[in-house]
Formats: sequence, C-alpha cells, structure tokens
Amino acid sequence: MIYSVVGHYSLILGLCAGLILIFFSIQNFKNSNQLDTKILSFSFLQFFFVLISFLALIISFVISDFSNETVFNNSHTTKPLFYKISGTWGNHEGSLLLWLLVLTLFIFIFLLRTKNQPIRYKILTLGFQQLIIIGFFLFLIQTSNPFNYLFPAPDEGLGLNPILQDPALAIHPPILYLGYVGSSIIFSSALAATTLKMVSSSWAIHIKKWVLISWIFLTLGILLGSIWAYYELGWGGFWFWDPVENVSLMPWLALTTLLHCILVLERKEILTSWVIILSIATFTLSMCGTFLVRSGILNSVHTFANDPERGLFILIFLFALIFLSLFIFFFFHQTSKNNSSNFFWLSKETSILVNNWFMMYFLSVVLIGTVYPIFLDVISSQKISVGPPFYHKLIAPFLIPFLFAMAIGPRLKWIRSDLKDKFYLISLLIISILMSFFIIKNFNINILINSILIFSALYLFFITLRDFFIKKYKNFAQNTAHFGFSLLILSILFNNLFSSEIITNLKVGETYDNSKTKIVFESINQKKEKNYKSIIANFNITNSEGINNKLSPELRIYNQPNITTSEADIKTTLMKDKFIVINLVQNQDYFNVRYQVKPFMLWIWLSVVVISLGGLVSFLQKRI
Amino acid sequence: MYGRKVKLRFLFVTLILVTLILTVFLILKSLEENVVFFQSPTEIKTLSELDTNKIRVGGMVKKNSINVNSDEVNFIITDFKNEINVSYSGAVPNLFAEEKGVVAEGFLKDRNFFSATKILAKHDENYMPPEVKEALEEK
Amino acid sequence: MKKKLIPYSIIFIFLIIFVVFYKSLKDTNIYTPETKINNDIPIFSADLLLLNENLTSNKIFELDKFYLLNFWASWCVPCRDEHSILMKLSKNNKLTIIGMNYKDNKKNAKNFLYELGNPYEKIIVDKNGTNSIEWGAFGVPETFIIYNNKIIKKYIGPLNQELMIEIKKIIK
Repeated sequence: MIYSVVGHYSLILGLCAGLILIFFSIQNFKNSNQLDTKILSFSFLQFFFVLISFLALIISFVISDFSNETVFNNSHTTKPLFYKISGTWGNHEGSLLLWLLVLTLFIFIFLLRTKNQPIRYKILTLGFQQLIIIGFFLFLIQTSNPFNYLFPAPDEGLGLNPILQDPALAIHPPILYLGYVGSSIIFSSALAATTLKMVSSSWAIHIKKWVLISWIFLTLGILLGSIWAYYELGWGGFWFWDPVENVSLMPWLALTTLLHCILVLERKEILTSWVIILSIATFTLSMCGTFLVRSGILNSVHTFANDPERGLFILIFLFALIFLSLFIFFFFHQTSKNNSSNFFWLSKETSILVNNWFMMYFLSVVLIGTVYPIFLDVISSQKISVGPPFYHKLIAPFLIPFLFAMAIGPRLKWIRSDLKDKFYLISLLIISILMSFFIIKNFNINILINSILIFSALYLFFITLRDFFIKKYKNFAQNTAHFGFSLLILSILFNNLFSSEIITNLKVGETYDNSKTKIVFESINQKKEKNYKSIIANFNITNSEGINNKLSPELRIYNQPNITTSEADIKTTLMKDKFIVINLVQNQDYFNVRYQVKPFMLWIWLSVVVISLGGLVSFLQKRI
Repeated sequence: MYGRKVKLRFLFVTLILVTLILTVFLILKSLEENVVFFQSPTEIKTLSELDTNKIRVGGMVKKNSINVNSDEVNFIITDFKNEINVSYSGAVPNLFAEEKGVVAEGFLKDRNFFSATKILAKHDENYMPPEVKEALEEK
Repeated sequence: MKKKLIPYSIIFIFLIIFVVFYKSLKDTNIYTPETKINNDIPIFSADLLLLNENLTSNKIFELDKFYLLNFWASWCVPCRDEHSILMKLSKNNKLTIIGMNYKDNKKNAKNFLYELGNPYEKIIVDKNGTNSIEWGAFGVPETFIIYNNKIIKKYIGPLNQELMIEIKKIIK
C-alpha cells in the first residue's frame, strides 16, 4: 500500500524534475559559460526519484502487495522470490518503468562523464533527452501507471505467465533495454551536434563509447532472447524471423552500421550524413519496435494480449520524434563540400561504405518483411504473413560479398591503399576453397549458395584467425568481432544443414524406431512443486552409432494462471545438442514427441559472445 | 563534350539507380512468392478453384474433434459456419486445445481436407490471432 | 526547388507510414471482445460462488425470460457504486439478475455481498477471466441484458439511475 503511494508520487516528482531541467537548460543555453550545477543535481534527483519508484514496485512484488494492480495482474504468492523480482519488469508497466530508470541513469552518466565537449552541446543533448524522458513519464503516468490501486485488495494475484518464468528471460529485457536506451543518448547527442554543426572527428571519438556500450548490450540482449526461445518455446530453433525478433534485429543492424561509420568519421570528416541518419534511425527503430510489440498490431507468436490505446500514444510520440529529427537534419545539416573528390576506390573507408550499403539492404529486407503485412492489411485487408524463406532467399546470397569485404576491408589502409600480404590472402583463399570443397563433397551439400557461403565464411575465418597471431596487427577488437561473425555464419550454416528431426506421437512404453534412431518412451513420473505440477517423461534414445542417451523432458502445469509449458531436455555437447520436447494432446493418451539433433548449437551462442567481446575490447581500449 | 568527372558521376548515379531498382524488384518478387495468405473455413468452401500455395487456416478447434495416432494429429477447425478437417504431423504447441483458437499452416488437399505443416503457437491464452478473431466475428 | 524536393518527399513518406500505422492500430490484432449485440450467448459451464454446484449455461438462462448478467468483482471500486442500483433492480420480478464474479477471490467476494447485500439469483465464478472473454466483456463492471438466449443490450461501466430506468423500459 504505502509503497505504491511512495512509488506513484516519486514518479510525479521525477516528471517535475524533468520540466525543471528543461527550464534550466534553456536558461543555461542562453548564457553558456559553465554548466549549471543545478542541472547536474536535478538530473541526479530525477534518476533518484525513478529509482525510488522502481524499488517501490520491486518491494510491492516481493511482499505480494495485491492492492497494486500491476502486482495483482502479474504475481502470485506461490511464485519463487526470483520470479517475483523479475516479474517487476516482465510486464508492460514495469518494463516501461525500467526504460525510464535506464533513461535517467544514462543521461546522468552522460553529463558526468562528458568532458572536453562544448557546454552548449551538453545542454542541448540533455534537452533532447529530457523530451524523450518526459514523453515516457507521461506515457507511464497516463496510460500504464504501475501503481494503480485496487480496493479492497484481493488475497491472491493472477500469476505471471509461466512461459516468462525463466532465468534467461528474467535478465533479457533489462539487457536489451540498456541497448535501446543507450541508442537514445546517441540520438539526442546526434541531434544536438547537428544543430550546433559540430559533427566532427572529436565528436565521433566522444560518442563512440556510447555506441559501443549500446551495441554490446543490444547484441547480448538479442542473444539471451534467442537462447530463451530455443529451450523454452520447444520449437528447437533459435531464430524464426518472427516480427518481434526482427524488431530487435533492425536497431542492431542500424547500430552496427553506425559503429562502422563512426570509425571512419573518427579519422576523416566524411560520412557525416550517414552518421546522423543512422543515429536517428537506430533510436527510432528501437522505439518503433516497442510500438509494434506493445500495440499488438504485429501478428507475432510472441505477442501478448495488450491494450491498443497505449499504442496510439507511442505512435504519436514516435512520429513526433521522427519529424523533429527530420526537421533538424534538413534544416541544420550541411554536407561538407569536398568529400567526394578524394575518395579512392581501394581504401578502408570505401570497403566500409560498401558494407554499409549491404547492411542497409539487410535492414530494408527485414523492415519490409516485417511491416509489409501491416500495410497490405490496411490497403487491401488481406491477411498475410511473411515466412522465413523470404529472408533466407534475400539475405543469404548477399552475405557472400559481405563476408569478403569483411575479410579484406580491415586489411586496407585509410584513404588510399594497395593490398599487402597478397601471398597470404591468396593462399588462404585456396585453403578455404579446398576445405569447403572437402566439406561439400563429404556431406552432399547440393545448394550452390550454401557451398559458396561456407567458402566465404571459411575465408573470413582463416584470415581473422591468422591475424590473431600477428603481433603488429593492432586492431584486436575489430578482428575479434569479425572472427566471431565468421564463426556465427559457419555454425548457423552447419546447424541448418545437418540438423535432423523426428516428430512422433507415443504412449508410455511405446518405441519409435527408424533405421537410424530408436526412441523408447520408458516411463513418466509426476512431481509437485510450489507453483506447478510437473510430468517428467523418461526417454532412452539410441542412435546409429549405438550411443545411449537418457533424456527427461518435462511438462509443467502451472496453477496460477493455469497454463501448461513444455520444458525441453537438452543434452549439450561441444559438437551437438540433443533436444527433446514433449507435449500432451488434450484428452488423449498420446504424447507428442519431438526429438532433434542440432549440431553446433553451442557455437552459435559462443560466437555471438565473441562478437560482443570484440565490442568490449574496443570499449576498454585506450585510443592510441 | 562533358568532362571526365561529370561522366564518372553520371555512371555512378546510373549504377546506383539500377541497383536500387533491381533490389526493389528482387524484394517484391520474393515477397510475392513467400507470402502466406490466411483463409477461414468458410472462405475455403467458397473458393472457385483450389489454391495450391501454402495457406493458413484459422478458427476454433472443434470440441471432441482431436484425435491422435502414432504419427498424426487430426482435428477439425471450425468458424461455426463451416468446418475443415486437418491432419498434422509435427509438434503441437502448448496452448493447442479444443475450443481454443488455432492457426494451421499448410496445403489444401480439397475443400474439406487440409494437411498442415505447422501449427502456430501462442504465448498467452487470452491472445487470439487476428485472423481468427476477424473470421469469428464475421459469422 | 530541387533541394526542397527531397525533404518534402521524405516527410510525405513518413506521413503515409504514420497513417497506415494509425489505421492498423484502430483495427488492432489483439482480441478485444467486440460488442456482440444480438448475438447468441456463449455456451459454457461454470462453478457457482455460493452453492457447490457446476451449471451449464442452458440451465442458467431459460428462454422467454429477461436476464441481467452483471460482471463484477470485490476489488472493483465502481462495482460498489452500482451495487445499490442492482439491489433496486433485484426487487423487479420480471428480471433475473445473474452475477459473473470476475477474477476474484471467493472470500472477498462473499464479504462484499455480506456487506452490501446480494442482488444475484446465481453467481458464476470466472476465476481466470476466460468466460468473460467469451462473453465479450471488457472488464468490470459491465452489464448485459439477455432475452431468448440473445444479448439485447450491453452497458460498459457502472449502472446509474438513468440506465436503471432504461432497463426497466426494456423489460416492459
């Protein structure tokens, strides 16, 4: 009770702090000799208020205070403490509060850590950021207040959707939000820099840290979501090209492109328009993602039932931001005149530019695939969905030149260069041709694109691998990330090509046998936990090499809300995952059994970790 | 005539335009090929000719219609006006149950028989796929 | 002129996107129960709150009689306000009032009735809210008038004096 009141008023105080901050920034902007200390203290105060209200919500969840509507809708007394806490941001209201918390934290850190930049720039960034923050405050208080109040207090809550009761998903939203919100700093600061006409190398060096931070978190956030989907949804895949997944991929693509452009801008004042547009795009795409997911206009398997009214608010807010940034871009931005003349075709920046275009292409494919159904529905009210083949077909072939540019590009020098180490490049090319030829022959791959993809990924793999052993090669961070990417593509390819799957319906005691695999459904046990009952099925699986595995997938029947979830049993080894999941068909004795052998699953996760490690190294690196 | 620079620039612009047009063409083309349309049982009944492409059928799973044997799940999708028999071999999602909304993806065998390759899962029991919602409302 | 063309066209494109998103928002994909006036009532079976019984819908709703189905919960504040109206309506013998106890706790619900009186002839328990969704209810409080197994009128939000007069007119 008391916590809800504290939380609610603390939110309102935070909003007031935002308004005061805007007022101070305008004043300070006019006579800008020194950053007003009041600004610093008020932005700390704002962060503090949001923190208080976030803590209040966590406490309400922990003590199961059902007089709070959010707690009532999303919690239950029998839930383990861990999920009571993670339930705080597992719902719409709480997750928005988390957004706000990170927003206020980041702008405070930004003000503290930004040195050697003009005061006016800092103030203007703060101003833009406050616009976003105030927008979120209004959204939260108006349409989705987490401290709505129920009277009389119910004794028991409705429970958290069991599919969300999972460790990976408990930390997935905060990590992803750190990435999204980091991009909001980039957005505000790019707008401020454009207005003040200071998009330059020194600005690029300063903003690079923020780009890296949000990029690392976004990468890890997507990874966690994907891991969750892999073992919780029981489809045995890690990426489905589902709209909700695409929506997190789009800002990532824009941010990755931005990262590369910033690297160029650090050295040479070109690509300024690219940098500004991408900074705007990254954040608007993150917001757009929130809009599409939260409003429910996307037809996705991940959609949860929710409220269209909220969507309207985000939509208007989103487009207000877009039009504001478009206005600033066209009004204030001037391209420097001497940029096109001194481009030389064989240089690092050209190869980065080429890959930028590829990235933009991937981005537009994903974007079109995601929003096309919405457009078609409005225009002709036909209901359609765009499936994975669309993405595979359009993305896979273009990955080939992309991978080559990734391999060769970093070896070029800035501005003008010729290829060095031609001997190594060519010998590695031959080695990868031979290797891929060997793989293709041995495993009967008959799709041309896949074979060329394997070859080009191998090429990138070898080149980056070799560069680790060259001491004078300085760009360790870039090399790590590119190495991780080649590993990722290779693992995904092998995973796709060599996965096998058996789907069958079995009763207890029955055996499925094809020439390669024998699945014996031995028995079932039942177990009762605090907030669910579980049925554990015991399988004995023998493959063609006579290796025996005992796997025990589980069905959980949660009591509140009454939902059944399948917990896959996965045996992970270095080279392959064995994955089994069961489901009970209503009113039948048959269990629906799905058994998959997925090679290189572990490598997919690891390679994404390697990619983000590259970002981390670059973040920690001192600029030479 | 024009200077070298102008010529180069002209070439550059045409190159960009051509690639742009090609990309748009490519995207639209594969969109057309990979789009899956949604139909309700009633719409299927009134089809003049059978669609050979992959489609989605949505509605409610009819009560007492689920029947499982060792390699198939059979059930009936209804929109309370018309019905269609579905046979499916594959993994069923958790929230697949009688008298709940369902969307099946697959191919039409004839007007009364649908062979599904995928049944779409949902995360939330109160969530209803939009197609199903619309189809049910039209009844 | 040429310089301004690009900004304007981009702004135009974004405007179109806005309109499309806005329209699709109006026609949202989420299943918000629509007003199903003149539709047949759903068929269901449910537990009763006060009696230890499980009834099917055709046992509850008979033909040729007016029913008032009221969705309520003890935690809902407006339900408290409209309760006096329901008490008044319950004295009318042409109308049978059925309650649908929405996402509630049994003990609280009973306390609520003990405190304010019980206008309902039967109370159906809808612990997880699924029944209410099938009925097409948005939340609590909400009131449906049913005749011949059809929903003939639907009120969203609490009842008041005017609506009470309107309901009395309908059942005449």
